Amino acid sequence: MTTERTTLLQRIVIGTVFLFAGLLFLRHVMPERHDTDFDIAAFLALPVQDGGRVKPADTVARTTLLVIANRTNVRDGDERLSAAEWFTEFALNPARAVERPVFRVEHPEVMGILGIPADDRMYVSLSEILPHFDTLRSQWESIPGESQLRSSYEAALAKLRDAIGLYDSLSHAYTGPPVLGRSDTGLRMLRRALRDRADHDPDSEEALTVENALSLFAGNFARAARSTVLATVPPPDGGDDPLAEWSNLGSVLLEATKTGNLDPLAVTYAEMAAAYRAGDAAEFNSRVDDAANLLAARGHAPGGKIAFEHFFNQFSPFTYAAVVYLLVFLAASASWIVWPHTFANTAFWLMATAFAVHTFGMFAHAYLMGRPPVTNLYTSAIFVGWGTVLLCLFLEKRFRNGLAAAAAAPVGFCTLIIAYHLSFTGDTVEVMRAVLDSNFWLATHVPTVTIGYSANFLAGSLAVVYLLRDRIFGGLPAPSARLLEGMVYGVVCFALLFSFVGTVLGGIWADQSWGRFWGWDPKENGALMIVLWNALILHARWAKLATPTGIMQLAIAGNIITAWSWFGTNMLGVGLHAYGFMDAAFFWLLAFVFSQLACIAVGWLPRLRLFNRGGDPEPQTDTPGQLPGHTTAG
Amino acid sequence: MKAIHQFFSSIRLTVLLLAVSTVLVFFGTLDQVHFGIFHTQQRYFESLFVVWSYPVQWPGHELLGWIELPLPGGYLVGPLLVLNLFFAHFRYYRSGWRKTGIVLIHAGLVLLLVGQLWTQLRQKEYFMWLAEGQSNNYVESFHTDELVVIDRSDPDRDRVYSWPVEAFSRGQTELRHPGLPFRLRVVGYAQNAAIFPLDQGPPNTPDLNVTRGIGADRNLTFIQIAPTFREGERNVTTALVDVVTPDGPRGRWIVSNVFRQRDPMREFFPRQTFEIDGREYEVALRFERRYLPEPVKLLEFRHDRYPGTDIPFNFSSEVTLGEPGSDNARRALIYMNNPLRYDDLTFYQASFAEGDTMSMFQVVGNPARWIPYWSTLIITLGLLLQFGISFVSRFYLAPAGRPTPASRDNTTSPTRRTTARQPAAGPLQ
Repeated sequence: MTTERTTLLQRIVIGTVFLFAGLLFLRHVMPERHDTDFDIAAFLALPVQDGGRVKPADTVARTTLLVIANRTNVRDGDERLSAAEWFTEFALNPARAVERPVFRVEHPEVMGILGIPADDRMYVSLSEILPHFDTLRSQWESIPGESQLRSSYEAALAKLRDAIGLYDSLSHAYTGPPVLGRSDTGLRMLRRALRDRADHDPDSEEALTVENALSLFAGNFARAARSTVLATVPPPDGGDDPLAEWSNLGSVLLEATKTGNLDPLAVTYAEMAAAYRAGDAAEFNSRVDDAANLLAARGHAPGGKIAFEHFFNQFSPFTYAAVVYLLVFLAASASWIVWPHTFANTAFWLMATAFAVHTFGMFAHAYLMGRPPVTNLYTSAIFVGWGTVLLCLFLEKRFRNGLAAAAAAPVGFCTLIIAYHLSFTGDTVEVMRAVLDSNFWLATHVPTVTIGYSANFLAGSLAVVYLLRDRIFGGLPAPSARLLEGMVYGVVCFALLFSFVGTVLGGIWADQSWGRFWGWDPKENGALMIVLWNALILHARWAKLATPTGIMQLAIAGNIITAWSWFGTNMLGVGLHAYGFMDAAFFWLLAFVFSQLACIAVGWLPRLRLFNRGGDPEPQTDTPGQLPGHTTAG
Repeated sequence: MKAIHQFFSSIRLTVLLLAVSTVLVFFGTLDQVHFGIFHTQQRYFESLFVVWSYPVQWPGHELLGWIELPLPGGYLVGPLLVLNLFFAHFRYYRSGWRKTGIVLIHAGLVLLLVGQLWTQLRQKEYFMWLAEGQSNNYVESFHTDELVVIDRSDPDRDRVYSWPVEAFSRGQTELRHPGLPFRLRVVGYAQNAAIFPLDQGPPNTPDLNVTRGIGADRNLTFIQIAPTFREGERNVTTALVDVVTPDGPRGRWIVSNVFRQRDPMREFFPRQTFEIDGREYEVALRFERRYLPEPVKLLEFRHDRYPGTDIPFNFSSEVTLGEPGSDNARRALIYMNNPLRYDDLTFYQASFAEGDTMSMFQVVGNPARWIPYWSTLIITLGLLLQFGISFVSRFYLAPAGRPTPASRDNTTSPTRRTTARQPAAGPLQ
């Protein structure tokens, strides 16, 4: 081991890395810029009610695009629209929006129905779909109800059906349905009719004509009221009661045909849309202001929590953290080839940066939910990665050598990618079902079990680093090997403690709520398997039944068991914990299992030691080689 | 003898049993998809042996359907683990405060396993449907049925004679009781049955010669079909019974657990009654009941949803316990995560029906429910103690930078070494 001096080159390289991370951070944290005079950000900051809670329209914009397009922006030829820009157009100028290719079609045969060459592209617009709607509808009828039974063609069809349904359910949130084929003059005609009715003697022939026209309008409005889920008009006296139900535009217009009173908010929305279509930015911006004031008067000012959610959406802390975790992994791996200390330090500080942003994101999300950090599968993915990185930071703080960073960064990255894909199903800030409504247990049982997952993944990941380096890349010097053995041992002990306590707390919750401690529910069984496996690893080590390589292989098998417990059990669709079957996830779970089996098999390879550099940074600590649980005998 | 002792006390056995348990739990989870939780639990965790076979529903069943995996069941693995723990304890235990944690952990584990066994043997699960304003003094079993004869001659209280149906699935066909002037003869029994009118059945449908009750009125017959074990489904347990007095047979009835007098969203059936010696009796095959000391009455069921969605915000049922108007009647509110505990039973809010006017409670009786609390406390204490001792000895007692004496002990035999090192190598040292 040679001592290292920081050279100019090193400073430049490290400086560039941190500059990149810093600039990326600025890009995330700065408000999104729209290349237009229209104050789109202000429009998207307006609160709406959707999915049982009040949120900024921005959240609806992003989640909708994620669900139907699985993307965060729209590419239409050379034009590129952010989710915010697309949604504004979709909400206020639907006639233009139907031309935007936003529907992701995942099967060539579905493309075939639409008459589009399969290899051409993956995105189609509503205007391309509509001519083939009858064919699609007849195909939809044959889709099996249970998602497990669908072929990939049927799954793609079902996905398109759901996307069109979602699109439709949001279409009339700000602009009323077309009246007599005209979507732009609807409001004017409605107001005229209402005025005429008020002006005429109810028994006169004119009044009768007006009534007829209004009932025609009413039919359209009633349809829109039924199909629209996005509610944009709060009750005048609802205040901040979370259960106060907002109205959608269709029902407000329908109400107006009966009472003659048109809600001023509906008028403002219509004027806003007219200004947007006319390209009058100044008028649009002032109407958005009006709408904000009207909403504020009903107890829903677009500030406070709504504004924070808007900021949180565009900051998108988890995307940032994921990118930086990737950098951490590169830096940590580089430390084994060149400049061990410099790169190990770089990895550590990058990791600390990513972790800070990850932590902020997690607690911000919890604040928006008004719940403890882990409440659903999405948040559990966020938390598992967070826990792994937290544990790794403790290890790296003590043994600054990039080993733990290289193990934890992929876990952090992958869990955030998993979370991103889980968000394709809709808004991640979900309202809680009554069955889970217990903040005490959500704050104790769930995080404890989830930290157990984190620890298991960290142990498994450390073991992968151990085997890959020992057998294939570079070879593992004895001190590093011993250090890793100690780390894996310590982390498995930690995992056992948390998995056990978490599982049992779950049992106590079950007893408190349902009168039984243990029900052999798949999720409970999964947790039990983790506890059993951790105990097995520890006993095998104490009794010297396995070599260090064997222990590593067992720890990697722990990855498989943990992934099964976390995701596999949810795919069974059985029991009280079955909160979501995901068919695509099954493929990835299998892929993960095979990758881990391959890593286990690496343990039986002869030592290849490609790219042998000869050494690792010595742990920068006063007790070299000493780690909880480390023993000298192998 | 020594070999047996060696075998039962070895840590190899511990590791083997832990591995087998993991595999058992895994397959016991997989099979729940096809057999439901209850049946799988019985097959895997309340048995000595179980054979897992490649599910018919899986892809490639034509080729791989022959695959079968025999496994030891929960009633074999659990006791072996306990034995192993005891033997290992007496083989390896050396007194000393450093071992306290390990002992506590293992003692707690034994308690937990014993408690689980006790629970599995004694836990009963029932349900109770109540409409608003209705009261009920019994709960009904989720899984077991009983054949009953009810003597209704006393206006104040009914006298119920009950036989579990397991008796006649084992072949017992003559049911008598000294209080009854007749006996029941079970001439047909189906754990799960299809019941249909005789003239609508396939050709060669057997005529069961039913002479009395619903079966005679509607000209019914039944055939045995494969029992279901799926979650949420229940077998249509059905029997064909003759009532026989010393003077001779008095008729033949079909009794079935679907002939219910009340249930949400289901047909109502009349009671099947008959008279002997001037007394009226009812015969029925029904979900096994457990009677409560006092009736439970549902006053109001509430169900709020998040605005604009069908996602439940809360459910709650307001009930009273005890005879209405009596002094000791009490009110209780049952809602999610807040069950009612009464008469050693736990009533929790499970479902609702009929436009939010009916409420279902799941009712669980578990005599061992306190055991997990104690064992958890003991194990957690043990883990923390072990952690604390090791942490303190590692970071404060041992000189920095050098291995502790225990970890340099390489001279003893492998198993001895393990024990000698246990204090230094316990969880999270």
